[in-house]
Amino acid sequence: MKRTLGFCLAIPSCAAVLAAPLYAHHSFAMFDNTRSVTLRGTVTAYQWTNPHVYLDIDADDGKGGTKHYTIEMTSPNMLHRGGWSSRTIKPGDVVTAVMSPLRDGQAGGLLLQLTLPSGKTMLPGVPNAQRYKITS
Amino acid sequence: MMQTWKALPLGLSFGLAALATPAMAQPDFSGTWERYPPPEETADPRYAPTPIPDPQLKPQYRAEWEAGQKILAERLKEGQPAGDNYVHCIPDGMPAMMMGMFPMEVFQRAGQINITQEAFNQTRRIYMNETLPNWDDIDPSFFGRSVGHWEGDTLVVETTGIKENVRFRWTPHSGGMKITERIRLLAPDILQDQISIEDAYLEAPWTYSYSFRRMKDYKLQEYVCEDNREYVDQNGNTRLKVDK
Repeated sequence: MKRTLGFCLAIPSCAAVLAAPLYAHHSFAMFDNTRSVTLRGTVTAYQWTNPHVYLDIDADDGKGGTKHYTIEMTSPNMLHRGGWSSRTIKPGDVVTAVMSPLRDGQAGGLLLQLTLPSGKTMLPGVPNAQRYKITS
Repeated sequence: MMQTWKALPLGLSFGLAALATPAMAQPDFSGTWERYPPPEETADPRYAPTPIPDPQLKPQYRAEWEAGQKILAERLKEGQPAGDNYVHCIPDGMPAMMMGMFPMEVFQRAGQINITQEAFNQTRRIYMNETLPNWDDIDPSFFGRSVGHWEGDTLVVETTGIKENVRFRWTPHSGGMKITERIRLLAPDILQDQISIEDAYLEAPWTYSYSFRRMKDYKLQEYVCEDNREYVDQNGNTRLKVDK
């Protein structure tokens, strides 16, 4: 398993194969799974905590400015088993994040996919990920 | 007479088996285990868990349970789990802990067996060859008091003293609920936990089983609920605090 993981992580998008479906344990009903939003911006914080990991991004707002977003991820242990670590991202990294937005209009969402500065795309192992439409 | 004659060799062989038991090494469940089958796999029928039926609650407890199940069904229809305890950063307790949300570790000694579930660092302690106390002689808790003994290759664990608000599938129970588990290896790397719940609220024991598969070289990770930004609003909807 470890060998496979190491091999896979060297190949962009290979992580997608690894991110096996997991038992859902938190309600993600607060996110709109019928659409996605893609953000490109600079990471301001990457918080590796339970119950969930949070990624904060100052994203391009399309008008020359930025807008701050807080993006929820799954738990550190699930992410770890999917090949992530507390050092996968760091503040200052420019990333592209695809998220299911919060239904209540706050500037945040659930991370569905992240492209790192290296160009590698990572999946965060969202339970029942196939239910979250990527439309952006 | 015939019966006695027939029973004799059988009795002899049982006697020999009993004599042989102390010399037999108990199976070692030590190690790390994950629920089997994982969601993306189909179970080998030899090792498949038994489905979890509805609890046969007595009529006076059914209305509460049915109301809860309606809410659960609606959430499932949305593709969402209930996860109430977890939203509040509260561990499962027993028997829900044995559903194995995340990997679990068994640490086995002759006198005590501990099972740790990665989610919330939940640990239950099984004291071997002790007598199960009366439920009202111990303080109610999430994991209760567990005692165990070996019946051949099967670890039999009895648990009582579970808090009434610690519920599995939103099922009400009394303070006197008793959980009996029969845990054994179906294969060197497959562990089965047969669970039977007896309670004054139930018309018949509630029984089901889980299977677990050994994880080679996996080390359980720490799980401290450090920053829970999820909360349930006044309408019962889970929300996220976006800004700290």
